[in-house]
Amino acid sequence: MASLQQLPLALQLRDSALLENFIIGGNENLLYNLCNGSEQYIYLWGEQACGKSHLLQALCHRAGIHGLTSAYLPLGHAELNEPDILDGLESLDLICLDELEHIAGDPDWEVALFHLINRLRDAGKRLVIAARHAPGKLGIGLPDLESRLNWGVIYQLATLGDADKLIFLQERAAQRGLQLGNDVAEFLLKRYPRDMASLFELLDRLDKASLAAQRKLTIPFVREFL
Amino acid sequence: MSQSLWDKCLGRLESELTQQQFNTWIRPLHAVEEGDQLRLLAPNRFVRDRIHENFLQRISEIMGGDGDTMVRISLEIGSSSIEAPVPQQSPVRSPAQTFNHGGGAPAPSQNRGITLNPNYTFATFVEGKSNQLARAASSQVAENPGEAYNPLFLYGGVGLGKTHLMHAIGNRIREKNPNANVVYLHSERFVADMVKALQRNAINEFKMYYRSVDALLIDDIQFFAGKERSQEEFFHTFNALLEGQRQVILTCDRYPKEVDGLEERLKSRFGWGLPVAIEPPELETRVAILQSKATLSHVDLPQEVAFFIAKRLRSNIRELEGALRRVIANAQFTGRPITMEFAKDALRDLLALQDKLVTIDNIQKTVAEYYKIRVAELHSKRRNRSIARPRQVAMALCKELTNHSLPEIGDAFGGRDHTTVLHAVKKIAELKETETKIGEDYANLIRTLSS
Repeated sequence: MASLQQLPLALQLRDSALLENFIIGGNENLLYNLCNGSEQYIYLWGEQACGKSHLLQALCHRAGIHGLTSAYLPLGHAELNEPDILDGLESLDLICLDELEHIAGDPDWEVALFHLINRLRDAGKRLVIAARHAPGKLGIGLPDLESRLNWGVIYQLATLGDADKLIFLQERAAQRGLQLGNDVAEFLLKRYPRDMASLFELLDRLDKASLAAQRKLTIPFVREFL
Repeated sequence: MSQSLWDKCLGRLESELTQQQFNTWIRPLHAVEEGDQLRLLAPNRFVRDRIHENFLQRISEIMGGDGDTMVRISLEIGSSSIEAPVPQQSPVRSPAQTFNHGGGAPAPSQNRGITLNPNYTFATFVEGKSNQLARAASSQVAENPGEAYNPLFLYGGVGLGKTHLMHAIGNRIREKNPNANVVYLHSERFVADMVKALQRNAINEFKMYYRSVDALLIDDIQFFAGKERSQEEFFHTFNALLEGQRQVILTCDRYPKEVDGLEERLKSRFGWGLPVAIEPPELETRVAILQSKATLSHVDLPQEVAFFIAKRLRSNIRELEGALRRVIANAQFTGRPITMEFAKDALRDLLALQDKLVTIDNIQKTVAEYYKIRVAELHSKRRNRSIARPRQVAMALCKELTNHSLPEIGDAFGGRDHTTVLHAVKKIAELKETETKIGEDYANLIRTLSS
């Protein structure tokens, strides 16, 4: 059944970040503002793998559905290594900047971002920024930039409670065609670190292992494998 | 070419590329379909080059996929939305003229500056001791442009209201004389405009334009630092405007003489008129600013809430505004009135402004302190209630506030089993409901640990 050629397709499917498959947890307010609010600029921060990139990419997807242009720029990505990438972005309808912490402290990037924020504001275009920390904790060197980063509505992304993590694990598993029963999901949450990055990674390993062993995810299998 | 051809192409690309590639490189493209031609507009050189290198071939393949239609694809920098075609120019012929703002036809001169923000007026400017002088000077300049103080040089730290005053002057000049050509722009825009003009051999037009305005408002001139060619051009523009008794208003983050990388002659000229400082607002002014912003947003902000926010955010007005926006956003979402409790709740993470780093160690220390026992006792084997209960509370807190696994938590409590942790979590959940004291203890501890 599961030939190697099917793998890329499976990977593709599980990667799609949509607002519909974002587990809201304690973030109803933020989500409401992102979807219905008229804020020109929103800043969100939170720990690793708490859903920031998911949200930003989902917003781009949603913009596309409405016929709007957008850009998702993960600033920690090696491909985006020059501040020139920020030129002219005010011609787009929505800009989503992810991983802002990567450019904090770099004078060229900071100036370029400062100017971009001014241009977006003047053009009335939407900006959503995500980072690991609040603006004041990023180590921004340019005070002009820091003050502009503080201008928007700032949200700390609430991390999921265990009940939501359980749903999250099951949904992610389902997207990969894996069936993860309540008992197994609870077993995982009781025995392994419960931060989202670890859970992602755990699910990845289980996915591969169950595929390789051609076995379902049961407690005995998980116990044996891990 | 059917309109949906590009949409189909997008659909294909979305399924073939990773989501990140698609969102980063393909979504920013603006497509214009004309007859059998598809013009792809990238927002900048960076995106254009990347599309050219990595995706253009595939796009061509997909677009030509149906066989019978030959689609010519061009890739340029530009946008069809921000610079509208200029009425007096010949109708759409050359792509560069209509779409390419990266280097082509001259920009329409009327569009050069940024529109003044109508909300930034003297009426909405909250006056206090810190900005009295700046406001008075601005008001005089607005009433007598070109005569009172020229140039007016407003300086001070970030987010103190320099831009607001500048727009207020511009708006007032326009109010008195609707035909006045008031141009507001950020210094970066001036530099960018000049570079573009040089590229397209239109520097004379550039000069003529800027030297013909009635009032030139340039924000954040410290960003001219190190840009010698721009400084020189600005120097001449500046002189021409002053000679013609046109008003020049500049803002900067510091006193003219203190800007590094600025030519001496510019520094000295900036000091000719009136350099006036804006200081950070004192508490009462911050409160008044919040109330003024709330009124503008049609929101009822109780005095005590305004004081609460103003006391905690001191450095600049943008932060105040950001905090107020957050409170308003929460109020709109929940439909609840803004009270002290509500504001505290809405701003909890903002005011803490630090990543809550709750560790097992930290929890153990806090719990031990709270119950007046020693941390070592939490690790010990002792099972009498005065120790066991705090231990269970600490375990439950570890489960709730950290992401450690249950075995890890058990380990940290003297090598206990994960089922012991699980039992503690259940026990405490139960006791929180049945014993008020435990419920209170738990809530107090959470508050201490997360603020």
